[in-house]
Amino acid sequence: MKPDGWQKWIVLGALTLVILVTTLFAVRTVRRAIFWRTHRDEVIRPWMSIPYIAHSYRVPPHVLYQALGIPPQLHDRRPLKQIAGGQNRSVDELISSLNEAINRERANQIPSASPSQPGRSP
Amino acid sequence: MNISDQLLGALSQYGLPVLFTVIMIAAVGIPLPISMMLVAAGSFVELGEMKLWQVIVVASAGAVTGDQIGYALGRWGGHRVIERIRRRENGATRIAQAEAFAKRWGATGIFLTRWLITPLGPWLNLTSGMAAYPWTRFFLWDVSGEVLWVVLYVLLGKFFSDRVQTLVEILGNLAWVIVGLIAALILGWKLLRYLQPAEPLKRAKIVAER
Repeated sequence: MKPDGWQKWIVLGALTLVILVTTLFAVRTVRRAIFWRTHRDEVIRPWMSIPYIAHSYRVPPHVLYQALGIPPQLHDRRPLKQIAGGQNRSVDELISSLNEAINRERANQIPSASPSQPGRSP
Repeated sequence: MNISDQLLGALSQYGLPVLFTVIMIAAVGIPLPISMMLVAAGSFVELGEMKLWQVIVVASAGAVTGDQIGYALGRWGGHRVIERIRRRENGATRIAQAEAFAKRWGATGIFLTRWLITPLGPWLNLTSGMAAYPWTRFFLWDVSGEVLWVVLYVLLGKFFSDRVQTLVEILGNLAWVIVGLIAALILGWKLLRYLQPAEPLKRAKIVAER
C-alpha cells in the first residue's frame, strides 16, 4: 500500500522525537553510571533504617544510634521518618546529625584522609 | 516525603505484605516505584532482614496476580471498545489482524515486557486480554518473565546493597533507552519502506496490463 505524503512526515517526526528522547535517557544513564563508579555513598533518605545507613556508609550501627541518642536495637526496621516522629524532630535534623556522626567516624578511622561531605548527588 | 520514600519506609517496616500489594497494583497499570522496591528488598535480604526465597515468591506472586487482573480487564472489560471498532468500516478485519498479530508475537512480547521493557507490561496485559490471547499461554509466559525480572532485580539489590538508589536510577533510565531503541527501530523500518519506490509492484502491474 502506497502511503499518503503526510504519513511519511508523521513517521519521520515520530522517529526524530523518539531518537531525541532516547538520547536524553542514554545521557542520563551514562551520567548516573559515572556517578556510580566515583561515589559510593548514598544520599540519606527518610525511608532508610539505621542498619541500612550503617551498611551503606560502612560505619558501625552503634555510632549512628549514639548520634541520635537512642539505644541500639537488633533487627531494627524503623525508617528514619518514624524515629523522627518518636523524637519530635524533623527528618532533616536527624539526617544532618547522622552525616556529622559519619564524618566524625570516618575521620577517626583514617586520620590522614580528609572527611568528605557524604552522599552528594550531582 | 515523596511516594517512593513512603512506600520504601513501609517496605522496611512491614516487609512482604507491602511488597506483594505494591507490585500487584503496579502490574495493573498504576505507576509505582516497583524497581526500587525490588532492589531495596534485595538489600534487606543482604542485611538479614528478609529471606531471599520469600522475597522472590511473594514479589513474583504479586506481579503475576496484577498481570492477570490486567488481562481480565482487557478480556471482559474491553468488549465495548472492540464492538465499537467492529461496527466501523473494515473493523472486523482490523480486529482479526490484531488478534493474528497477538497470537504470532504475543509470547515474545509478553516475556520481554515482564523483565526487559517493563514500562510496556501493563499495556500488553490489557491488549492480550482484548485480543483474546489464549490465557494458559499468557499465564506461562507471564510467570517465566516475572520470575526472571524479580530474581534479576532482587539479586542486583543484594549484590549492590549499599547503593540501591543510584542502581535504580540507572536501571530506570536504561529501561526507557531500550524502549526508545525498539520504537526507533520499528519507526525507522517503517520509514524505509515508505521511502523505497514500489518498483516491483509497478512493473508487475504494467506487465499484467499488457
